[in-house]
Amino acid sequence: MIVVKDLHKSFGDLEVLRGVDLHITPGEVVVILGPSGSGKSTLLRCINQLEEITSGTIIVDGFDVTDKNTDINYVRAETGMVFQLFNLFPHMTVLQNVTLGPSKVRKIDHKEADKLGLDLLKKVGLEDKARVYPDNLSGGQKQRVAIARSLALKPKSILFDEPTSALDPELIGEVLEVMKTLAREGMTMIVVTHEMGFAKEVADRVIFMDEGMIVEQNTPDAFFANPQNERTRNFLALV
Amino acid sequence: MAGHFELKYSVIWESIPILLTGIKLTIWITIFGLIIGFLCGSLAGLAKTSRKPYVRKLAGVYIESIRGTPLMVQVLFLYFGLPLALGMRVPPLVAGIVAIGLNSGAYIAEIVRGAIQSIDRGQTEAGRSIGLTHFQTLLYVIWPQAFRRMIPPLGNQFIISLKDTSLLVVIGVGELTRQGQEIIATNFRAFEVWLTVAIMYLALTMTIAKVLQIFERKLHIAS
Repeated sequence: MIVVKDLHKSFGDLEVLRGVDLHITPGEVVVILGPSGSGKSTLLRCINQLEEITSGTIIVDGFDVTDKNTDINYVRAETGMVFQLFNLFPHMTVLQNVTLGPSKVRKIDHKEADKLGLDLLKKVGLEDKARVYPDNLSGGQKQRVAIARSLALKPKSILFDEPTSALDPELIGEVLEVMKTLAREGMTMIVVTHEMGFAKEVADRVIFMDEGMIVEQNTPDAFFANPQNERTRNFLALV
Repeated sequence: MAGHFELKYSVIWESIPILLTGIKLTIWITIFGLIIGFLCGSLAGLAKTSRKPYVRKLAGVYIESIRGTPLMVQVLFLYFGLPLALGMRVPPLVAGIVAIGLNSGAYIAEIVRGAIQSIDRGQTEAGRSIGLTHFQTLLYVIWPQAFRRMIPPLGNQFIISLKDTSLLVVIGVGELTRQGQEIIATNFRAFEVWLTVAIMYLALTMTIAKVLQIFERKLHIAS
């Protein structure tokens, strides 16, 4: 459902992605590992067009996202995104953060949106925070709200861009739990992370990126037990 | 020959009713001028953040030409100059309100642009990632946050614009300064009248400052 072909992306003279090919099937949970600067986040951001690509093809759900005739807003609504720094809307309550998408993009009525929002907050364990503003939440709670916000669009897949990297260690678990639940429910997920435990336990496939290319990919068992590439081995030895 | 000066309180009391009619006009010019200014400023400020270069350029020309010329010249041009080209007379009050509006708009544009650009890029990305259009993201995500940051500098601009209305004296708009001038023309009591006028401006600007302070606190509590 997500197909990336020969993707190149440069920022000025710096080539961040140098020919990435990727094929994600529905329901698959893919974890992308790699050192910082390897292009992992950029790859995610290209998939929902937060970055314009330099060359290549990206097909999401049958839509060529780089084609200007594609309704990119529709594709983005179908592709959730969870950010490292949460990016909650600070002027809205937690519930309003979650219901903004369904009410303005899906155009469902107020009551229905609230009901959906409360259901999703319950799912991430924060129904009692519905009327609270994001500033009053912990990092882990914020990220769970951000996940609920992207779920509110009923997306076919969700991209996670280092969702736990900005969290205090004791708050990481609660976010990973929510993500594990989603994975079990069959959500298609691409997760850029440094959480090896999550990769081992939840991923269907682990991808290792370095210097803008996919160096190696395999099932978690094979990937961690028997890495083929030297760069992968070096990376795994360091973390 | 230095004469003995004596402050005449009666002059102050007598001039107050006339000055109050001037105040009324000053307030109306300020309100309508700022409404125009806020609209122009918001549009130009947004245009300054546009991705299209010619839109940015257009806003830039407006902002620079207003900021780079004296308000006095703008007022004179609007009232005496432009009607010649258009072949129609413009009432002084209209020219005055338009001048205050266009002038404050240029400064407000910079306030709007600064506030919008101060909002973290992640907010736009989050908005777009849930499928909002560019415009919806601006309307529901960016603008409400930016607006809060605009309030202190906007308050400043409101005060400046209110004081600027006194320049309209040159085209004969009967606002506060003009009324003061006319009273002095009959009684020659410049000290008392200008002092009273000054105190009235001070009362007006302090009121604006206070109202904005309360407004700001309310918004702060709401978030």
